[in-house]
Amino acid sequence: MESQIELENEQLKGVDNAMLVRFVGDLDATNVEFVLEKVCSFLNEGFVHIVADFKKLRYVNSTGLGVLLHFNKSAREKNGSFKIANVNENVYEIIEIIGATSLLEIYDELDEAVESLKRA
Amino acid sequence: MSELKVEVAGAAEYPNTTLVRLKGPLSGAEQAELDRVFENIIQGHPPFVVAEMSETTIFTSSALGNFMNYRKKLVERNGDLVFAGLSLDIRSLLNLLGANRIFRMYNDTQTAINAYRWEKEHLRQATHLSFPSDLKFVPAVRQFVSRITKQKNYGSRDSFRIETIVDEVCNNAVEHGNNTAGRNVELTMNIDRERVELQVTNATNPEKVDMLREMSKSVLNSPQPSLEQKRGRGLALIKMLSNDLRIGFSEEGTSVHVTRLRGE
Repeated sequence: MESQIELENEQLKGVDNAMLVRFVGDLDATNVEFVLEKVCSFLNEGFVHIVADFKKLRYVNSTGLGVLLHFNKSAREKNGSFKIANVNENVYEIIEIIGATSLLEIYDELDEAVESLKRA
Repeated sequence: MSELKVEVAGAAEYPNTTLVRLKGPLSGAEQAELDRVFENIIQGHPPFVVAEMSETTIFTSSALGNFMNYRKKLVERNGDLVFAGLSLDIRSLLNLLGANRIFRMYNDTQTAINAYRWEKEHLRQATHLSFPSDLKFVPAVRQFVSRITKQKNYGSRDSFRIETIVDEVCNNAVEHGNNTAGRNVELTMNIDRERVELQVTNATNPEKVDMLREMSKSVLNSPQPSLEQKRGRGLALIKMLSNDLRIGFSEEGTSVHVTRLRGE
């Protein structure tokens, strides 16, 4: 009965140490442990730049948002970055209400997020 | 002589509505009889009419024309004429004739009456859910509530916000409740056209009561959640998404009452 979430990942071409992670489904208290483990493993393997594609992320709650803030902090501590793209308006509203839009790097399109990495 | 049998049910049985049972064929030949029945209804019965047709055997385009005429007169009197209980074959035929653009069709009489009372009398409907104090049940609960709001024509944004409120309240109930007490988390939802009210109760963990009371006070009195605080983000989110939030602690348990007005 837990929420379904899938993470699809691929190494980003043209950018060193960068991983694209596609979130598919709902991110909530029933699956944050799985997501935490998976994304932290990328960071620990040296992929310090994470680009999260939220195109197919339908839902996020406060627990899920806490994990996103954790990724952001962990990536920065490793001199990397955590960027989010393609956020649907409902999910964006939750991020905004919690006041996290100023902390998280959010892009309208995936290309913009990737380009920002290339420019850095 | 027409084979059609017509019964008109009393208003007392169906408040503010008139029920007309139509048994047999509606071929158009029975127009005079139906004219008399509907003229009587239009003059002296509640103008919201449910035509109960589970025993209607034929429904021709000619008969449909007569019903369009009756409906027009009822609408002029702030009423309506809807169909209930039609067989799938007749319903498909009527859809081909375009009747579904004019008449609302319901599976049964009670659904038709509920739909009317929902719209005209702001009928409030209640749902009660009881589930074990375990996080794994929460996604199904929140999605169920969201489906109800969508089915009640709340917009997708409203439904999402209500889903979020339910998720956060229920997560808190499981996380901070007394899971060893053997008590379920109880959720009551009242919904009408204008608002959703949620009441969630759970057994209180005596060791956490003071901490929860302090956390609630802090969040409820703060205009904006603090990102540094790991605890209380869910409650802050509920507060920001709701129009009214009340939390009560007692030996009986914790009770959270949330009101969310329809926004779209």
